Amino acid sequence: MEFAPRVIFRIFGLPITETVTVTWIIMVVLIIFAYYGGKSLKKKPGTFQIIIELIVDGVNGLTKSTMGEEKISFAPYMGTLALFLALANLIGLLSFRPPTADLNTTFALSIMTFIATQYFGLRSRGLGYLKGFAQPFVFLLPLNIIGEIANPISLSFRLFGNIVGGLIIMNLVYSVMPIIVPILPHIYFDVFAGLLQTFIFVMLSMVFISGAMDD
Amino acid sequence: MENGLFSFLQQFETRHLVLAASAIAAGLAMIAGIGPGIGQGYAAGKGAEAVSYNPKNGKNITMVMLLGAAVAETSGILALVVALILLFANPAIGLEGSAIVLIASVIGAGFSMIAGIGPGVGQGYAAGKSVEGVGKRPDLQGNVVRVMFLGQAVAQTTGIYALIISLLLLFANPLLRLL
Repeated sequence: MEFAPRVIFRIFGLPITETVTVTWIIMVVLIIFAYYGGKSLKKKPGTFQIIIELIVDGVNGLTKSTMGEEKISFAPYMGTLALFLALANLIGLLSFRPPTADLNTTFALSIMTFIATQYFGLRSRGLGYLKGFAQPFVFLLPLNIIGEIANPISLSFRLFGNIVGGLIIMNLVYSVMPIIVPILPHIYFDVFAGLLQTFIFVMLSMVFISGAMDD
Repeated sequence: MENGLFSFLQQFETRHLVLAASAIAAGLAMIAGIGPGIGQGYAAGKGAEAVSYNPKNGKNITMVMLLGAAVAETSGILALVVALILLFANPAIGLEGSAIVLIASVIGAGFSMIAGIGPGVGQGYAAGKSVEGVGKRPDLQGNVVRVMFLGQAVAQTTGIYALIISLLLLFANPLLRLL
């Protein structure tokens, strides 16, 4: 059995793996969804518009209650992150390989959260943010820095570990019992664990960024 | 060490030693199941308690209990994944190098997953307390579940570190390069 993502084709010798091609599919789906979702908004919404309004309201409400009223400007990024991760984790249902089962994807996303945390922490609190690393005692400085660097590592490996674990077990289930039986593990590993890890990744990103900006 | 462990191991081929070590490691990894077992049992107990004083909200309480217990299962699943890799897709089989380092790495990969006991117990405790809270204040279910998921995710961190070390030992062992 091989768990690494397959190389689909090469551009100038650069390997393009399944992770990248499936990410392209998700990008196309999301772009079409966003284009038609925002195109013709009516006073009296149809079913499609109601679904979109539910998503937008949900993301806005979650951002407000987690990060605070004044940080609502983070909602578009968090919403995009949530939609991408949800689709990426659920795409295993269509027997694609989830892009989040590749450390490159999850680490890229967690590095984005890490950079945003440092940037917004520095921007809103200036030197006070850096001073926070020497709290409560100066000699805890190395420990605090290690803890800060451990955040993106655990964030990315949490998502990767859960999704790749589900992927490996699903592969085994399919090789033993290819029909009917995989339905139940699909519901747990793809739908439950996938949506839960989406929620946790987005929530932790919010908590890290707003934690660096406050106090 | 004339007649010690090392001379005993030397009578076997490297490949056979790695296979035997994989079997031990797969078993060791599954010891992590202790954690989710205790944790989920605690959550189940708290669920039964909550239903006893708030039978009207039994459905919500059961749902929160199942959600919390399902997250507490994570360490068990990660241990299962490492055990399955060891059994069905073991990258250490066929590797060249010192037999003693190879078998120690394989056993170490299984050993490290025992850390999953901690997150399993802790996440189960969080699930149990959340179930208790929902039993007392059913109107706050959304907030309670959100805090529970977030705390459980952070409690998983050491288990994730164990998984990193386990996968490193199996797939990108830095010790083999030092030989």
